[in-house]
Parts: sequence; structure tokens; C-alpha cells
Amino acid sequence: MTYAKIDQQPVVISRQGLGYSLSRLWQTGDWSRYLLLSTIVFLMFLPFLIMFVISFKSMPQFNRNPFLPTFPFYPENYTDAWRIVSKYIFNSIIVSGSSVIFTVALAALAAWSFARYPFPGREFFFYMVIALLMIPGELTLIPSFLLVKALGLLNTHLVLILPYIAGGQVFAIFIMRSFFQSMPEEMFEAARMDGANELQTFLRIGLPLSQSILGVVAVMHILSTWNDLIWPIVTLSSQNLMTLTIGLYAFRTAWYSIWGPLMAGYVLASIPLVILFAFTSKLFVEGLSSGAIKM
Amino acid sequence: MATQEVQTTRFGATGTSIPQRMRKQDSLATRMYRYRFAYLMLIPTFTLLLIFNYYPAFMGLYRSFFEWDIGLPPKFVGLGNFVELFTEDKVFQKSLGNVTILTIWRVLSGVTIPFMVAEMIFNLRNQTSQYTYRVLMILPTVVPGIVGLLLWQFIYDGTHGLLNALLAGIGLESWQQPWLGNPRTALYAVTFMGFPWVSGVTVLIYLAGLQGISRDVIDSTKVDGCSALRRIWSIDVPLIMGQIKLITVLAIIGGLQGWVGIFVMTAGGPGTASMVPGLWMYNNAFLWNKMGYASSIGMFLFVLIMGITFFNMKFVKSEI
Repeated sequence: MTYAKIDQQPVVISRQGLGYSLSRLWQTGDWSRYLLLSTIVFLMFLPFLIMFVISFKSMPQFNRNPFLPTFPFYPENYTDAWRIVSKYIFNSIIVSGSSVIFTVALAALAAWSFARYPFPGREFFFYMVIALLMIPGELTLIPSFLLVKALGLLNTHLVLILPYIAGGQVFAIFIMRSFFQSMPEEMFEAARMDGANELQTFLRIGLPLSQSILGVVAVMHILSTWNDLIWPIVTLSSQNLMTLTIGLYAFRTAWYSIWGPLMAGYVLASIPLVILFAFTSKLFVEGLSSGAIKM
Repeated sequence: MATQEVQTTRFGATGTSIPQRMRKQDSLATRMYRYRFAYLMLIPTFTLLLIFNYYPAFMGLYRSFFEWDIGLPPKFVGLGNFVELFTEDKVFQKSLGNVTILTIWRVLSGVTIPFMVAEMIFNLRNQTSQYTYRVLMILPTVVPGIVGLLLWQFIYDGTHGLLNALLAGIGLESWQQPWLGNPRTALYAVTFMGFPWVSGVTVLIYLAGLQGISRDVIDSTKVDGCSALRRIWSIDVPLIMGQIKLITVLAIIGGLQGWVGIFVMTAGGPGTASMVPGLWMYNNAFLWNKMGYASSIGMFLFVLIMGITFFNMKFVKSEI
């Protein structure tokens, strides 16, 4: 398994003047790469840019000039949108937040067991878990729905949280196990010599040393539960319980072509994860490059 | 108690210098008893997996052989559902064609474009800007997917959309149309959304591969006066073949499974112009309550994806 190492090479601090760096930029041909990359980045962000611009437009402003900034700004869109979107954001935080805590906790326990104890049947149980990575959501969607319906969970937050914990563990165990395995056994032996029991070696030594991998797993789990659309759509029908994705979907249907508040709602919906990203971009980069090793 | 547990791990886990014969002497029951806490740690995980993963997966396979409308007792029909899918269900057959188009484009764009971007980032001299571009590539991933989809829906909108405004700007008013509402364009609009088709995750995977190439090899190509294109073709591409294969397989699987985007953008419409199998399954199950029939579509997708996964593991498995 490979992780993207972010700071693999030391950063060379250039001590030459601006003229030198500019001429170097020209000679090495880097300028063409910068130009192309910047264009691509601009195009990637263009929809979001337009979303931002439109979110500050009143109806007449939009009709006159839909895509360029118009003055004065019309921040009332945000008050309108906040009234609707805020409860969806709140619901999503509840669902993703509680499921991520349990997912990380349970997966860490299981991964620790798989990684460090050669109990009989270890391989079998581990492959039982890994096999689930190959089962597409399409196969399980309908039976899962009928199951939660039979359990009477429809239209509660638990109907999202419990399956998210169950499903989220699989990938988390996979990632964490290989990390735990790479820890030197001597460290834990030393702790046992000093009188620590198995639980203490795990809680006091194993976990604190694995903070980064726990962070990666947590961030990946939040990202996937935050973005889930189909499962909430089939299991939730009450407006007050809706998570962000289906909330926005319903909001779009209800406010179709009232673009200002709609775009303001999209902006508000994007903010929580962007904030999370701002503080944990390193974990995101690591997690997303490892996320593809799923198979 | 304490001494016993010291023993467990001395002989246990990942250690390599474990005397094998000592472990063999213990009976299975002894070993299981010794590692009882290891099993305890697995109980919560497996309880949840049993209820929410194994059981539905099993039921999904099982019910695909039944005719089962909600409220009525399930009736075993053998392969009847599958026969109906492939002989009578014209919409399903059309959806197979649609999903093929979508998947082909996903593979083509997903493999090539992020590779070019990754090469450009990799060849920047300045480490700080390399890092900056890497973060910029990832940033759109953080915006909820639904926002991206709804924005593209707006771009394709017939009356207010950006695409039509751009066409008007370059004097092609006659091309204007409701891109998602026209049966002739809907499928292609959905296929080609997401311009410029740069997936940040894929770029990261490529970059990780490129960084794995030894610096010496790259330096020696420079000494030998090898052009950048030649280096990319003769050195980089063969050395990151593992990543290329991985991304191809992921794109195929993602394409076959990817129906959420279509669900949001067109709901398969207009009519069934942009229907794909996953969405057809959803419609059968949740609009028309034909659970057994829908399960058989799920089963079909499962077998297809399983087949591709095994093909991948057997023939193109790479060292990642």
C-alpha cells in the first residue's frame, strides 16, 4: 500500500532575485505548465465561481446579467437559504458525526485484533470482512431497505447511522489493519513488562501512535456519508430528518429557477466540509490517494 | 492472568521469531481461550456486519430468483426474471447500451486527462507550487457531489443555462436547446458533464506513482538528451502501468455502478433516453414495488462487477 508522501523532497528555498526566477521560468518551460494548469484549475472551479456570483444576485439582477458580478450584492439570498438549509446541515452533522465516532472506534478494535493476535480463524474472519468490499451497493440496496423497514427504523436517524457504521467499518478495518501491523511488537512487549494489560497497550500506546491513520479513516468516512444520496432518499421522507444531500435535492425541486437563494443554499451546503478540509487537508490528500487501493 | 497474556503476545501476532512447534502443541480450544479478548474485540463489528451487510447481500442474491411485489407472497420463478430482462425488457436492453457509452467515456477521460495533469504537476520545479496544485485538484472533491450535479444541471438549463449563454455569445443561437430535456442530447449531456474531467483523486494516484520512479532514472534521461515526450512514453508510462490498470478497472466499475448522477440530472429521462441499469433497478423497486425483478438487476450488476474484479485480479493484478 502506498500513501502519497506530501513532503518527500526538501523544499528548496530560492534565494535568487525575481528577474532570475522569471528567466528560469522561461528557460525550463515551466511557464507553459503553469499556464495550462492554471487554465485547468480555472475551468474546474468555474461552476463554483458562478455559483458564488449568482448567490449574491436578486431576481432582477440575475435576469439582467446572469453570470457577471452585479452590485450591490444581495445577501438576503443567504438568509432565505439558511432558513431552509440549516436544518439539513444540522442533520448531516448529527448523522455523519455519530457514525464516524462509532465507525472509527469499532474498526480500530477489530483491526487491532486482526493485526496483533494470531487467534484461530483470523484469516477467515479477515477475508470475510474484505469480501464485502466487492459487493456493490446495487445488490444490497433493496434487501437493506426491506430490512430496516421490518425493523421499524424508517424515518429515524438510526436508519442512516447504523448501516453507515456497519458499512464504513469494512474499508476502515482494511486500512487500519495494515497500519497496526507495521508497528514494532517490541514497543508493546515493553509495555507489558511494565505491567500494562492488553487493553492498556491498545488504548495508551497503539491508539495514540495511530492518530494520523485514524484521522484519514475518519475523514474518508465523513466524506462518503456526507455525500450519500440514495440511501437517505429511500429511507427518509420527513422534512425534519433529511440530510444535506436529499435536502438540497428537495430544495432544488421546490425553488426551481429561483436561482439566487438556490445558489446561496449550495454555497452554505459546501461550507462545512470546506472548513474541515482547511484543517485536515493533509489527511484528505493521504486518504484519497489510499482510497483507491480499495481492491 | 498477567503472565498468560504476556505469553500470548510473545508467541503471537506479527513476530517472526516465534517457535512454531510450541504453538502447534496447544490444542485449538486452548488457543481460542487464550485469545478470547481478540474475539471479544470482533463481536461488535461482526454483529453489525451480519445484520446490515451479510444478510442483505445474501437476500439480494436469493430474492433475484423470485417474483415478489410488495404485499404479495414471494413466488419462486427460477431464472424467469433474467429471461424477462434479456428478452422482453426493451428499456433494460437500451440501458445496457447507454451504460456502455457512459463507461467508455469514463475510462477514456479518466485515464488520460488526469495523467496529463499529473505529469504537468510532477514536472514543476517548484515544490511549493506542486503542493499547491495538488491541494487545488482535491478541493472540488470536498464540495458535496450533489452540489456539483445540481450546478451542471443549471449549466445545461434551457432558459438560464451557462452553456446556452456561451453559445449565444459565439453566435451559435441555433444550437441552443434544453440539453437535458431533449431526448437526442440528454445522454450525451450527462456523459460529458464535469468538464474539464479532471478527477483530483486520480491525479493523486498518478502523482504517487510518478514519485515512486527513481530520481536517477529521470536524471539520466536528461543527461542523455531525451525529450520530455519521449521520457513520458518510454519511462513514465511503463513504470506506472500499475496505476493505469488500477484506474482503468476503477473507472469501469464506477461507470457500471454510476447511476446517482443520472438520477439527479435527468432521472433517466426524458422518457427513457438516458436510462442506465442501476436506475432501472431503482425505478422497479421503489416506484413500482417489483422487488424481485429489481433484485435480479442488482444481481446482474453484481455478477458483472465480480467478473471484472476477478479478471483484474487474475490477469492485470499489479503491485500496488
